[in-house]
Amino acid sequence: MAADRIKSKKPVVKMVLFGVCSAIVYGAVLSYQGLITAYFTRGALYAALPIAGAFTLSYVHGHFTGYFWSVLGIEAKKSAVVRQSPEAERTDRIERPQPRPRLRAQL
Amino acid sequence: MQDVAHEVVKFIDLNYANILYLFAVGFVGGLVSGFIGSGGAFVLTPGMMSLGVPGLVAVASNMCHKFPKALVGALKRAKYGQVDVKLGIIFGIFAEAGVFYGATVQENIKKAFGDAGSNLYVSVAFVVILAVVGSFVLRDAIKTYRSGKTDEEEKTSKIARWVQSINIPGTMVYFRSLKAKVSVLFIIPLAFATGMSAATIAVGGFIGVPSLIYVLGAPGLMGSATELVIAFVMGLGGSFKYALHGLVDFRLTAIILAGSLFGIQLGAMGTTYVKPFMIKFVMGAIMVIVLFSRALMIPIYLAQLGLIHPMSETTVKAFKSSSFAIMAFALLLGAFIILRAMWQGRRAERQATIHEALEKGNI
Repeated sequence: MAADRIKSKKPVVKMVLFGVCSAIVYGAVLSYQGLITAYFTRGALYAALPIAGAFTLSYVHGHFTGYFWSVLGIEAKKSAVVRQSPEAERTDRIERPQPRPRLRAQL
Repeated sequence: MQDVAHEVVKFIDLNYANILYLFAVGFVGGLVSGFIGSGGAFVLTPGMMSLGVPGLVAVASNMCHKFPKALVGALKRAKYGQVDVKLGIIFGIFAEAGVFYGATVQENIKKAFGDAGSNLYVSVAFVVILAVVGSFVLRDAIKTYRSGKTDEEEKTSKIARWVQSINIPGTMVYFRSLKAKVSVLFIIPLAFATGMSAATIAVGGFIGVPSLIYVLGAPGLMGSATELVIAFVMGLGGSFKYALHGLVDFRLTAIILAGSLFGIQLGAMGTTYVKPFMIKFVMGAIMVIVLFSRALMIPIYLAQLGLIHPMSETTVKAFKSSSFAIMAFALLLGAFIILRAMWQGRRAERQATIHEALEKGNI
């Protein structure tokens, strides 16, 4: 099948790795609900805890979900994934004039 | 404030049914957010409140799930070259000011008119914003569809052309998405209104995305993707404000995030399969349907304030249930359109690849 031929390598190992990490984090959140709620709602300096927790989840679980869809074969349209160089996009940048090469020969 | 907050806060007990419900609502909310840049919050907050979560905790927990979700969505869409980080950050900073001002206005209305007054203000703001902006966006999407020019590059609106033509020395900044320099002085009021909208109706994107598209001149795809950067900046500041008062229930944040991160990745990928006008269509359709949902709540608050005849308990219950059902329908319809468009786009791409391979004789 043509579709099988064009399939790229799927990130199964990465998905499992981040999936396990995500399960550990979620397991901890649900197992220690009381403790987490007590500390995370103290306010003042403890306000950093929910923010840090949200960042941690976005990193771990975000990677897992990304790899999850890739493993299922659901990915963005291939032509859309274009890494554009920001330099190439700049239209407002004025090219600096290059010095003209001059020959300085002593006769 | 902290003591008051602690008196108000009552954290619910989570069971499997609650967890599954929040996960599912988070997934659909994330899917729509990934596609149009915003939109999940207006169902998530009432969804949490329906489980018995106090309003303030629901808003705070929703806000705290919003910024990491927006971050993941923005990073994903940046891979497709759809995000204008500079515009998003500048817009987001001024929007943050709008969030704080909007929250203060809310508090003052609540003090003066009580809960019913505050709810009435939110519902009227919802109806006015959605009626004006939603009908405009939907009309534009339908017009593009009917013109048959869905594949052509989007035209910059007249207002945007005028905004881009104004040169105010010392305030001009070049933005990649606009392919033009625009004065920051134009961005400030738009961003402020977006922030106020986020603080009032919980969805800043209903002002933010149309502003980016129609007033500044960003293409639909870039406008909705840049809104994710704005949502990240606004959400981070707002979450910190609520967390300072101990109002974030991190368990709720984590569960919603579990579903919404699946959804936002899918929604972001969906944008690569659809024509640009689809973003406007989904956004406009959701806005117009939600408008009816909020309009149903207005008589309830008017009755509570004594401005119209009191309503029976059964009528109030029927109005509230209908309102929530319409809101959930709007979100599900959006999710359905996105998934359908994505499915069709993927099928077309696969067929094109096979066709190409057959032509080249690779098979």
